[in-house]
Amino acid sequence: MPARYDQTQTIIQNCQTGPDTFLMRVDGPEMAQNARPGQFAMLKIGAEENYDPLLRRPLSIHRTSKEKGTVDFLYKVTGRGTKLLAKKKAGERIKILGPLGRGFRIMDDTVPVLVGGGLGVAPLLFLAEEISGRKGVICLGAVTRNQLLEIDKFRETGMEILVATEDGSLGLHGFVTEVLDRMFAGLDHASRQRIQVLSCGPTPMLKAVKRVCDHYGANCQVSLEAFMACGSGLCLGCAVPAAPRPSRKGGEGTDFLHVCKEGPVFQADQIDWERI
Amino acid sequence: MIMVDLTADLGFLKLKNPVMLASGTCGYGAELADLIDLNRIGAIVVKGISLEPRPGNPPPRVFETPCGLLNAIGLENVGVEKFTETRLPWLRNLSCLTIVNILGNTIDDYREMASRLSHQQGIAALEVNISCPNVKEGGVAFGTSPEAAARVTMAVRESTNLPVIVKLSPNVTDICAIARAVEDAGAHAVSLINTLLGMAIDIERGRPVLGNVFGGLSGPAIKPVALRMVWQVSRAVTIPVIGIGGITKWQDAVEFLMAGASAIQIGTATLVEPDSAEKILQGIEKFMERKEIPDLAALRIG
Repeated sequence: MPARYDQTQTIIQNCQTGPDTFLMRVDGPEMAQNARPGQFAMLKIGAEENYDPLLRRPLSIHRTSKEKGTVDFLYKVTGRGTKLLAKKKAGERIKILGPLGRGFRIMDDTVPVLVGGGLGVAPLLFLAEEISGRKGVICLGAVTRNQLLEIDKFRETGMEILVATEDGSLGLHGFVTEVLDRMFAGLDHASRQRIQVLSCGPTPMLKAVKRVCDHYGANCQVSLEAFMACGSGLCLGCAVPAAPRPSRKGGEGTDFLHVCKEGPVFQADQIDWERI
Repeated sequence: MIMVDLTADLGFLKLKNPVMLASGTCGYGAELADLIDLNRIGAIVVKGISLEPRPGNPPPRVFETPCGLLNAIGLENVGVEKFTETRLPWLRNLSCLTIVNILGNTIDDYREMASRLSHQQGIAALEVNISCPNVKEGGVAFGTSPEAAARVTMAVRESTNLPVIVKLSPNVTDICAIARAVEDAGAHAVSLINTLLGMAIDIERGRPVLGNVFGGLSGPAIKPVALRMVWQVSRAVTIPVIGIGGITKWQDAVEFLMAGASAIQIGTATLVEPDSAEKILQGIEKFMERKEIPDLAALRIG
C-alpha cells in the first residue's frame, strides 16, 4: 500500500478565491512528498472529539510544494461540512488523512489533454504543473467567465489553453466538450491516437468527454466523485458501477468499483456510464 | 497506582483487552494496518462473509445524518473461498484474535459457512449476522423473530466447534426475547446492536437518497439506544454481552462496560478516526487506574 498519513496539520491560509470557492493551504511535508496528481485527502471538519459533522470530507489535492512541504485544497462550499471548513482560520489545526486513492497515470509518448469543468480543475492544476514542459493542451470550462478557476496558474505551465463558457463570456460559447471535439477534429488520425485525455468535472461532463474520446479513439481517464464515509477502503460506501465484463461463472459481472480505492481516477472504459 | 487488569474473559474466549473492531468498518484488517496497531487491540471482527461473493447494493450507499451514518452497502464481500485463501493467512500473523462475521439467506447457508470455517486455523470465534433477509420465509430478517434467530443459532452451533457469537438486530419489539432465544439455542455470547433501520430523502430530486432506499444507521446518534439495549440484555441473559453502537470516545466505552458489556466493538468511529480503538483502549485503562478499578468485572454497575 502506498504511504498515507493521518496527521494534525496547521492551516497556513484559507481564503476565498471566488463566489463559493476557497483555497486552503496546510502544512504537510510527508503528504506533499508522496502525493500524486489525482489523489485526495480526508479532512476532519470538527475539532478533536467533535463528531458533528460526523464524517471527514474528501477533497482532491490541488497543488503541493515539495520544497515548502505544503498541500493546497481548492474547494467549493456546497453544504454544512464545507461551510464549516471555510470558517477555519490560518493557524488553526486540522486532521488530514492522505494522500489517498489512485491518481492520474500519464503514459509516455502521449500528448496529454487535460479537460476540467467547474471545480473539476482542482486536481488538474497539480497534474499540469507535474507535466509542465510537455507539449499538451488544457481545456477549461465554466458557466461564466468569473467561475473559471485558477486560469492564470494554468497559463504559467506553458501548455496551450482552450476555454469554453456556457454564457460565452470567455472563449467558445458552449461546453468544454465542444472545445475538445473541435480540437480532435482539427487533427489527423495519427495525432488523435497519441492523445491521452485526463479529465475531472461533473459526471454528465465526464460522460460527454468519454463519448468524444471514443469517437476519436483516444485514451481517456476520469476522476470520479461519490458519497464517501471513510476514504480508506474500509466501508465500501463509495461504489460506482463497473463496466460489464465476462464474469467467472458466465453471465455478466455486476461488480462495483470503489472511488476511494480503485479510483478516484479510472480509465473511462472501466465504468458503466449507463448506470452511473 | 494500581495495576489494572484489562483481560476480557468471555469464558469461551479470553481477550487481552475488551476492545474489538466491528465488522464492516475494518475491512479484513490489512486495509487498516498502517493506521492502527492491530496487535494492541483485543480482536478484529472481519467484514461479513457469505458463501458466494456479493457485489453489494447500487450507489449511493452511504449518507451522513446528524451525528450518524446511514449505510446500505449490501454486504459486499469476497466470499468464503477467497477470504480463507487470500485474507485469513495475513490475519493469522496478528496477535489480536480474528472473529469471522458470517451471513446467509437460508439456514443451510449459515450451516455451510460455519462448517467450512471450522476447518480453518486462526479463527477465534464466529459472529453470526442474523439481520439478513430469510429468502425462504418471505425475506423477513432472521433476527426479528425468536424462533428464526434460534434456528440459525442452532444450525451454526451444530456445524462448528468454534464459539458462536450472535449479533442482534435492534429493529425488533423485544430484543431481550431474541437474546434469550439464542442463548437457549446455544449461543456462547451475543453482540449488540447492529444498525437501526432508517432512510433519507433527497427533496430536490424527490426520491430516496440511498440506492437501496433503506439503510442502517450507525454512529454517535444511536449510542443511547444501544446502551439501553445492552443494559437490558445483560440482565436478561447469563452469556456474555458484547456492546456495539456509536462508541466514539473512551467515555462511551466505559458506559457500555458499566451497563454490563464484557467487551465492546468500535465501528463507525474507525471510519472517521482509524486509530479510535487504540485511543479508546488507552482511555479505559487510564480511567480504571484513576478510579482504582482493578478489572472489568468491577467496572460493571447495577
